[in-house]
Parts: sequence; C-alpha cells; structure tokens
Amino acid sequence: MDLLAQYVMNGVMLGLMYALVALGFTLFFGVLDVVQFAHGDVVTAGAFAGLATYAGLVLAGVESAVPQLVLVVIAATLSMAVLGAVLGRVLVLPLKGAPPLNVLLATLMGGTALRECIRLFYPGGSQPQRFPALLPSASWSMGHFTLRLDNVLMIVAGGVLVLGLSLVLRRTRLGLEIRAVAQDEETARTMGIDFRRVVLLTFAIGSALAAFAGVMHGLYYNEINFGSGLLLGVIGFSAAVLGGLGSFGGAVLGGFLFAGLQTLGAVALPFASAYKDVFAFTVVILLMTWKPTGLIGEQLGERV
Amino acid sequence: MRTASAGTRAISALALAAVAGLLLYGFLATESEKTVGLILLAAVVAVAGGLRSGVLPRLVHAAGAGPVLGALGLSMLALIITFHDDPFVLLLMARALLVLVACLGLHVQLADAGVPNFAGAAFFGVGGYTAAVLGRSDLPHLLILLASGAVAAAVGSLLLLPLLRTRGHYAALITIAFGLLFRTFLEVNDTLGGPQGLKLGGLRILGWSFNDDRQLLGMDFSGYAFYCLAAVVLALFAVALVRRVERSWIGVALDAVRLDETAAACFGISIGRWKIAAFTLGNALIGVAGGLSAMMVGFIAPNNFTFQESLVLVSILLLGGLGNLAGLAVAALLVIWLPEKLQPIQEFRYLLFSVLVVLVLVLRPAGLVRRTARRPFGSVAW
Amino acid sequence: MYRKIAFLRVALFALALALALPAAAKETVKLAFIGPLTGGNSAIGLGGRNSAELAVKLRNADPKSKYQYDLVVLDDECKPDTGVQVATKAGADRSIAAGVTHYCSVVAVATVDTFHRLGLPTIVWGAVLPDITYGHSYKEIHRVNGTMINQNETAAKLMLKQGYRRWVVIHDTTDYGKGHNKYFTQYATGGGGKILGTFGVTADQQDFTAELTQAKALNPEVIFFGGLTPIGVRIRAQMDKLGINAQFQGTSGIVNDDFIKALGPLAEGVVAFREGAPAEKLPGGKFFLEKYAEQKYPNPPEAYGPFAYAAASLLMDTIDKVGPDRKKIITALAGVKNVDSITGPITFDDHGQNTVAAITAYVVQDGKWVVWEDSEYASGKRKLKGR
Repeated sequence: MDLLAQYVMNGVMLGLMYALVALGFTLFFGVLDVVQFAHGDVVTAGAFAGLATYAGLVLAGVESAVPQLVLVVIAATLSMAVLGAVLGRVLVLPLKGAPPLNVLLATLMGGTALRECIRLFYPGGSQPQRFPALLPSASWSMGHFTLRLDNVLMIVAGGVLVLGLSLVLRRTRLGLEIRAVAQDEETARTMGIDFRRVVLLTFAIGSALAAFAGVMHGLYYNEINFGSGLLLGVIGFSAAVLGGLGSFGGAVLGGFLFAGLQTLGAVALPFASAYKDVFAFTVVILLMTWKPTGLIGEQLGERV
Repeated sequence: MRTASAGTRAISALALAAVAGLLLYGFLATESEKTVGLILLAAVVAVAGGLRSGVLPRLVHAAGAGPVLGALGLSMLALIITFHDDPFVLLLMARALLVLVACLGLHVQLADAGVPNFAGAAFFGVGGYTAAVLGRSDLPHLLILLASGAVAAAVGSLLLLPLLRTRGHYAALITIAFGLLFRTFLEVNDTLGGPQGLKLGGLRILGWSFNDDRQLLGMDFSGYAFYCLAAVVLALFAVALVRRVERSWIGVALDAVRLDETAAACFGISIGRWKIAAFTLGNALIGVAGGLSAMMVGFIAPNNFTFQESLVLVSILLLGGLGNLAGLAVAALLVIWLPEKLQPIQEFRYLLFSVLVVLVLVLRPAGLVRRTARRPFGSVAW
Repeated sequence: MYRKIAFLRVALFALALALALPAAAKETVKLAFIGPLTGGNSAIGLGGRNSAELAVKLRNADPKSKYQYDLVVLDDECKPDTGVQVATKAGADRSIAAGVTHYCSVVAVATVDTFHRLGLPTIVWGAVLPDITYGHSYKEIHRVNGTMINQNETAAKLMLKQGYRRWVVIHDTTDYGKGHNKYFTQYATGGGGKILGTFGVTADQQDFTAELTQAKALNPEVIFFGGLTPIGVRIRAQMDKLGINAQFQGTSGIVNDDFIKALGPLAEGVVAFREGAPAEKLPGGKFFLEKYAEQKYPNPPEAYGPFAYAAASLLMDTIDKVGPDRKKIITALAGVKNVDSITGPITFDDHGQNTVAAITAYVVQDGKWVVWEDSEYASGKRKLKGR
C-alpha cells in the first residue's frame, strides 16, 4: 500500500511536469496551428538559465535559499518568455503560410540549435550539471512511502500555475484575445485584435511555463542535462496530442496520462524500468491509431 | 526524345564526370584545410556559374541522365583506384554513398509522396541489425543484404496503420516516437547486444571476402576499396531506381498524393496504396544501405541510430532541396565529408547543420536549387 | 543585375571563408590518444590526455630522443559507435604509429576488432573489463592498468570484513557494469554475503525511483553500484530522496572528483575500489605529479593519468628502439618484460595484459577521496552506514 503511494507520488510529479510542457504545445497550436518543436529545448534552456542565475547569485553573495529560489524562478521564466517570443518571431511567424511540415522541421532544427548552443557554450555543458536543492528537504516517512516537503511544494506551485493560466484564459481580456485567435484568426483580426501581439504573448506565456517546468525538473532530480529537452519535448507533444491539440484540459489530462503510462510500465515491467518509455510510446502510437486526433478530439475541418 | 547524337551525349557526360571527379579528388586528397576551403569555393563558383549561365542544365540535358550516371560511376571507380590503399578516404567515400542511398529512400517517402519519416536512422539500424543477426548463419551475403531491406520494410509496415490514419504533425509524431522507442528498445534488452552492440564479420560474396586487403593489377587494395565499389554499385542502382519511379506513372500518382490528397482521391488514386508503396520502398532502400554499412564497419550499436541522426538525414534532404536529386547527392557529400576535413567544424557540426536548415527553410523554402516541374512529354531535366 | 550582385556576394563570402581557415601542420611520428573528452566521464579523459601530452612533451624536450612525437587526440565520447569511428580514423591514418586508448570499457571492447583489422598497436590506459585483453587473441591490444577481477575480489573481502552481509546490486547494462556484477557477486557470495536483488539500468538513465523503490523494499545494508560517474551520482542522490539509508559502494568508475563535486555532502562515506596504488605511492608518482603540476593543466590527472603517461612512455621507448613501423612495434611489445615505468615494472602476458597487484580502497572523507587505510573510517573515528 505504501509502495503504491510512493509510485503515485512519483507519477503525480512527472505528470505535472509533462502537463506544463504539454500546455505550451497546446497553446501554440491553438493560436497558430503550429507545433513548436523547440519547446522541449526551451525547458532545458530555462533550467540552465536558472542554474546560471543561481551561480551568479552565489557569487554576488546571496546566501539564503528563499531569495535564491525566487530570483532563479523569476530569471528563468522571464528569460524564456523573451526567448519564446523571439523563436515565435523568427522561426514560426515567417513560415506562416508554408506547409505545416516546414514549420515542424524549422522548429525541430531550431531546438537542435538551442541544444547544441547549450552543450557548446555553457561551461561544462556537455556534462550533467548539479542543480542546487533550493527547497526545504524535510520529509515524513511511513513504511516505504516517503513524503517530501519539496515535492509537495512543487505540486502545489505547479497546480497554482495551471489554475492561474486557466483563469487568465477564461477571465482576462488577453485570454479572450487568445481564445478568439485560436478559434478564427481572420475574424479575430477583423474585430481589431492585434494578431502578432497575441501570438508573441502566447509564445512568451508558453515558454515561461516551460521554464518553470525546467526549474522543477532541476529541483526534482537535482541535476540538469543539455539533452533532456529532446525527450521532454516529444513526451510533451505526445501528451498534448493524446488529450487533443488545442484543448487546455486535454493537455493536462494528456500529461498525467503519459506519466501514468510510464509509471505503470515501470511497475509492471520490473526487469528494466527503461522499458517504460518503450511501453508508453507504444501505447501513444496505438491510441493515436485508434483516435487520430486525440482523446478529446481536435475539430478538424479542411478547405478543399 | 533525345536530339543529341550518341557521341555528343558521351562527351558531355564524360566532361561532367571529369570535372566532378577532379573536384572530388582534390577535396579528398588534400590534408590542408585551406585547400579544402579553396576547392569548396571553386566548386560553388563552378556550379553556381553553370546554373546561372544555363551551361550546366544544358550539358546534363544533352547527355541524358543515363550516361551522366554511368560517367559518374566511372569517375568514382577512378577515385577508388587513385586512393587504393588509403582506408580512411575509401571509408569516407563509402559512408557518403551509403548515406546517399538512405536519403534516397527518405526522398521517395518525403519528397515524392509527402510521408514524413523522422525515424530514418532507426530503419538504417534495422537493416544493420538484420545483417548482424543473419550474418551469424550461413546465408549468402547478397541474400542478407536483400533481407536487410526486406526486414526494414517489414518493421516499417508496423507503422503503416497509424501513419495512414493520421495527418501532418500527428504522422510526424508517430515516426519520431518510433525512432526514440527503437533506440531505447535496443539498449535495454540483451538479445540484440544491448548498449554494447553487435560485431559483424565482413561481407563475403562467393567466397571473396571484402575485409581483406588484396593485390590487384600490381597495386595494394585496402579491403575498404571493395566496400566502396559495392557502395558505388548500390548508389547507382538506387539513383536509377528512384529516377525511374519518379518518371513513371507511379511518380505521377505519388506527386498527386503529395500535392493534394483530396483532389487525388477524387481522381480515383488510392491514397493508402501509394503511401504504403512509397513508405515501404523507401524503408527497403534505407535498410539495404544500413546492412551494407554495418558489414563494412564491422560494428553496430544502438547509439548509432538516435533521433539526432534521423534529423541529420532529413537535413540533407532539405539542404539539397526537397525533390532535387543532384542537390541531394551534393548535400550528402558535404554533410559527411566537411566535418571530417575541416576539424573546426567537427565539434560544431550539429549546430551548423541545424542553423543552415533553418535558414534554408525561412529564406528559401523551395530549396537552394528549385525542384524542376514535371514535363509531361519529353525528358525531364533532372 | 541583382542576381549578379547576389552571386558575387556568395562568391566573396566563400572566398573569405576559404582564406580564413588555418592550414594543418605536419609532424614526424604520430601517436593517437583516445579517451572520453566530453560527456560525463570527461574529467578522467582529460586527465589521461594531459598525462599523455606530458609524456610526449617531456620526450620531445629530451635531446636523446630519436623522433619528434606528435599526439593526435581523439574523443570517443564514452560511446562505442563514436569509439569505433575514431578508432577507424586512427587506424586508417598511416602516419599514426600506435595508440594510447580508452578509459570506457564499453568502447574498448568494441574497438579491439577495428585495431586488429587496421593493424594499429594499442595500449589501453584505463578500461578494466577483462575481455578487452582476454576475450580474443589479437596481438595488437595491450593494457597497462589492471582488470576488474582483482578489484572486486578485494572489494568483497573488505566489505565482508566490515560485517556487511546483505547487498543490492545496481549495474549498468554495458559489458562494464555486467562484468562488475558478475565478479562482485561471485566474490561476495563466495565469502558468505547475500545478493538480495540485482537491477540493470541503462547508461543514460535519469530516473531510478522504480529500481530504488524496489531496492528499499528489500532492505539491504549496502547498495553496490557497478557503473560510471553520471549515473552513480544520480543513484546516490535519489537514494537520499527516497530515504534509503544503506551504504553506497562503487567501483573504479566513480573514483574521480566529479563524483564528489556533483553530490556535495551526500558523497560523504561512499566507498570505492580501484586497481593501482594512488599516484603519490607509485614508484614514479612524485616525479609524475611534480612534472604534471609544472604544466599547470586545468584538470588533475585523476586516477588513471599515471597509466596514460606510462602507456605513452612505453610506446615512445619502443618506437625509439624499432622505429615507427607498426608491425615491428607489435612484435616488440609482445616481448615487454619488467620494463620500468612510473607505475612500476610492466610485463605483458601472452594476452598483452600487465599484472597490477595493488588494489586501493577509497572512502570519501570531507569532500576528498582518501585511501581507506589512512581514513578515519578505518581507524574507527567515523562509521560507515549501518555500523
């Protein structure tokens, strides 16, 4: 029973991270009908930005964990918001009329370029970097189940973020504009919505979420690696697709579903937990065969 | 409908091949990076000048594709004989040719039929592992090479159902997921060697072992020379096959499927059948190239077949211009040879390729040299 | 008109690029050095490279040396496929006479065939898998450092003596990790210990919660880890996260500063073993460390630097005697008996393997790898987990 609780805890942590990444994919897709494949690498870049900020803070003499944590998160999210907007401006908007495969390729390559830049130009980038443990490490054990305070804090923070995003989308004017553009770009522009501003802001928001996920990843594993963005991006995309691209709830559902699949795979296949990825991706492929546009389907209409 | 005489055709073809051969020779033989840069420059000037002034297309058209291919094959042979005992150059040539064959497979899938395949390296690996496993048995090696292609096509057919039911980026996701899955699967289990990989004995045809160095015509030939020869044969065959397919009614059907599925369906073209055909043929080509490559290197490991490698293959396709076979060949050569010859690039090669592809996609989405339109009557330019 | 301008621009750019590229230089006798210069084991790779470079530099400064030596440095990234590629490159390059090769066993085991095929004599400087020399009968392959067999025998003995009886083994699925699993299990169970469970993990695995949660349920006293630093760091860190209070025992793969740097206080009390005496205690150790310090390299030589130095020196000695002919070097290396080096006398047996008798046990104490016998853990002032 407590073993199960441990697994559930792990699954929830992973699910939250994947959900944050999937939300980014779904936002970009909703607004521009594009899949921004550099998103996974933005997660990594956010984590590295946070790490660099931490190093800078340590040099500047800031010792206490709370301001360190706050500043790291702020720096990571802000810098990635800017990076996201830049990527949108440079990679995605110019390719607006092009076949969707071109955008996919351009963003895939953009992600590779980002990844390689981190590997080549961050000092020691090709090695895994230790990420500082900025959250309190108190824990409470019951048998085989260990409840850690930092995990709880991260889950709460992540949940607040997701709820906050949902509120922004539903209650604010910006959210209204985003949803309008997602629904029908032409009409939205006719109604006076500044299309480019909305697109760039959406990219900024999505990338800020990615940065938060990156910092979470670093805090959870105490380590970041330049290459982890690739797999995270594919997982995030799979999760968004599972839930249906363009659907907010679907992205969150997809994230937890994928994490659930991975945890299930790890438990059910005890001889090698690395099989969990094989298992999870196979299920994704099968699900997509069954429901080509996701579990909460995308409304696919086509002009012939 | 050819208007030039046989003599003119032969001469133009040989002229093209001679120039190409000289440039390649210079590129491969030099040790100095400065010379490499100068040769690159010369090649760029020659090609760009030829294209602008119209000399190059006319020469190719006059020669006809068949003779050009034949002449290029001859110049490759000449290069092999020139570098007869330099295993490194021979290996480089063979690698570039095999990557070209794999990219031809991708070309059929992506450029002709519009089926995205981001797991090209995985199918290359399937071919290699098939060669490794079957190599332990007593099957004749030619059969093993064919089997590599067949198994790659068979594995690809697992993805057919999902691919047919999905479109655009969903289809892309399926191949990406498969590529990642493939590598993880190989690394985790031990039946196919695990992360340590598998070793392969070399290619043997009718008792003639390709691994051994031999003395022929008074010269010492490194074992790799024969692999290079095999690669040249395979590459010529693949290019001829793909061209033939493109120029036939199959090519027309594939173009229709790629350009507008709905319209094609209205005309009675079976989308599913043609996508399956293109995907399978492409994978078969990729698999055979993978099998030969594995036998040549003598070693195969899961790390050779990462998603990153698949992206490199797709980059080659894009850099050469989607749909352009000559561009594809040049891009394959550059992508494989430049990092080896220019040491400073070696470290930065993934970054360089990705930035170049992004530039091409954003600035010149039709490719560096545009895909020529199909001419319904008369020969196609290239 | 504009087309012409654009074309001219392209041509000028290409011209500028071509002229900016530096020309390569030519040297006399080339030696290849192959090691993991990037990636999670780069500290050791760089230490080995610096040591080999040191040997070459000192030799070139020696007026008695017959040849000018040039070290061609190649990065195998600790990946077998990259390793085979660079091995092919080194072997195919006729100007390279011999090679000082490999720290990662995964790579070394993959490249033996390549070196044999291309006829390049090599001396391994850091890989410990026995199969590298004993798994075949190629005359090209030699090794100056020891194999993992003795390492695990000593490890089992010491831990059993401390009173430990219950282990969980986590190893990576490469031949290196599997080898450690095989030999340690053999010696530990032979001495009365029990292996409660064995888990194989991939070399780049990130998340070990599944394995560790199951391991925790088995309640071991020690977690034995057979693998390299990157995953060793992750496993130790995640052990702490899951509240596993067992002793962590590693192999030569984690004896380097990166392991301690990455874990900080969590590294305290970790035990590991490797063959060969610590650098200071080697016969030529003081000399080596002095000369190394003079060069002001940014990285320390790490555990296997002295072996890389010894390998390079042995090759250069051999070339000085028989010339840069590969076949002659291979014949000469076969007859190496009691040749002096900074690591002690080198003798290659019929499989090219040198016998290194000493196995050193280490424990992390206050952020440093300390020899067990000199540590406060051995004297009883500090206690290992569960004692």
